[in-house]
Amino acid sequence: MDKNKDKVKVKKEISIIHPRPSSIVAALYTLRDLNVDVAILHGPPGCSFKHARLLEEDGIHVVTTSLDENGFVFGGHDELVALLEKVSEMFDPKLIGIVGTCVSMIIGEELHDAVLEANPDVPVIEVEVHAGYRNNTKGVLLALESALDSGIISENEFDRQKDLLEEATMVEKRHGAASKEYLAPSRGDLKYKIAQRIIDLLKEGKRGIVIMNAKKETGYMFADITVAVNEIAKQLGVGSNIINMANLDATLGLPRVRHHAKCIMDDLEERGIVIHENIGGLDEYPIAGNVAGKLIEEKYSDYDFAVITGVPHAIPMDSISGMEIISVTNGPRQVLPLKEMGHKYVIVEIDLHPKTLGINHIVESEFGATLREVAKEV
Amino acid sequence: MGDDMSNNPNGQKKPKVIAIYGKGGIGKSSTASNVAAACADEGYKVMIIGCDPKSDSSITLLGGKRIPTILDLIRSGVEITENDVVFEGYNGVKCVEVGGPEPGIGCAGRGIIVAIQKLKKISTAQDICDLVIYDVPGDIVCGGFVAPIRKGLVSEAYVLTSGEYMPLYAANNICRGLSKINTPLSGVICNARNVSREEEIVSKFAEEIGSELISFIPKEQIVQDCERDGFSVMEKAPDSEIAQVYRNLARAIMSRNRSVMVKALEDERLRELTR
Repeated sequence: MDKNKDKVKVKKEISIIHPRPSSIVAALYTLRDLNVDVAILHGPPGCSFKHARLLEEDGIHVVTTSLDENGFVFGGHDELVALLEKVSEMFDPKLIGIVGTCVSMIIGEELHDAVLEANPDVPVIEVEVHAGYRNNTKGVLLALESALDSGIISENEFDRQKDLLEEATMVEKRHGAASKEYLAPSRGDLKYKIAQRIIDLLKEGKRGIVIMNAKKETGYMFADITVAVNEIAKQLGVGSNIINMANLDATLGLPRVRHHAKCIMDDLEERGIVIHENIGGLDEYPIAGNVAGKLIEEKYSDYDFAVITGVPHAIPMDSISGMEIISVTNGPRQVLPLKEMGHKYVIVEIDLHPKTLGINHIVESEFGATLREVAKEV
Repeated sequence: MGDDMSNNPNGQKKPKVIAIYGKGGIGKSSTASNVAAACADEGYKVMIIGCDPKSDSSITLLGGKRIPTILDLIRSGVEITENDVVFEGYNGVKCVEVGGPEPGIGCAGRGIIVAIQKLKKISTAQDICDLVIYDVPGDIVCGGFVAPIRKGLVSEAYVLTSGEYMPLYAANNICRGLSKINTPLSGVICNARNVSREEEIVSKFAEEIGSELISFIPKEQIVQDCERDGFSVMEKAPDSEIAQVYRNLARAIMSRNRSVMVKALEDERLRELTR
């Protein structure tokens, strides 16, 4: 009778035991993309410490109400009011963000009450978030909802971001860090061996596609791999055997994200690298892979190999299964899923993210440097 | 008077540490303070630790006065010693109030955990007592409210109820909670509200969960009158009939060494019982 009952077998959510990105941190990064000058963490002093420090490298002030045992018991309203007043004075911000934490949300702190009381004369984005969400994209969504409420972003941009987030969550569930109950971190394949392999392919006259499908500012380093492969192809006299794709559309995304796309594009141009196919904005990594896939099917299906950087697991396998695939990720837990997808070689750019904060030019990657070094001996 | 360990003839004996649970407003604090006073009258060293953020457990042992709470002092950031938080009330009963946030703010449950840990650190008063009563809030709404039991401080739990349906429902729920955290029950106490067949109903309830009714406290206006003046019955009306009831309850608790894992009743059975 109920056809759907048989058809739709509800897939039980797996319980993942490796630690994963936090929604609080995701909210912080989103506030940065919205160009807040100060982000206030309302919670204990050590919450999200490492990322707070990184974000300071990226030019925003991150401060904390430093709730202690007293704050847990008696609430932190006064502390938040005081800190709002203090940062207004210290940093003269144009836009402030407040982010909840596990403890402040459990004890029911009202961020808005503190904002009303402190009454700063600039807009405040209040994000009632904790780290207990299954998908860290929830933190982004909550930050964007609040930004929409305060008129910082348009309804259109919000809807666009929301769709992207849903896609991003699906990408992680299908082949990413949320695809298995436990994923051991791995350093992947040896960089110099893979560098040698790429050089051999080029020497044999094989044709390759270099796809950068990067998440936001990580593009500053992944783009270096595009540059390195092109340099070496040129050096070997086979520059025209390479097709470059990248998600560097500078007309899409939040202001900061567009700026990154433009900076990277300018750098590539300066180095004489042509991006043959621009596959989307720097925040479109969950869907730009599909664009790349379609283009490959239409125009490049007979190419021999592909070097895919950034979020390689978002490129559908159907379009590239006939090629030799070399992928570069910055996630040590991404190695295994990529291998299982059929990527022959997977290498990891360890600690990529910290090196891509607070900059506006392409930075050298370890794999790019390895390629250049190995190519010297050719 | 500066009692110290050497003056305690029973240095070896562990104090009896009890908690009385029950629905909010059913009379836990009244019962606890009268039992404390009655035990003190019998010559026992007694301590009462109020764990309600309202801080009203010891008020009738202190002539209606309030004492500084542990959490207030922790909050103010001063160094705290035993003398700052342990106060002597009626007949030498040691009184402590945990305190807590205003209603609707912060986390009272965490407050209890923090305060009892602090107390343990700064005070040895509990160790030299014969009876320690933790007066805990009625609704065990989060982990903090059962911390005295969970942290292994309480050795005996009692449930206080009337014969009305809702207090019995709450009592039954508490029994479910106790068995969930593997804590046996030492007895059921009935604080009567003058409903029909009250003693029979509570007695039957106690029996069916596997425990027993150890005291039936009739409803007497005099308890209210004494409280309004800021005193226990034991202090203000020691010759009243109700004072004798508390005295008997105190003796029952002090001599009690039987506690059992109870099994909460099904809702349906509980309703039948009260019909």
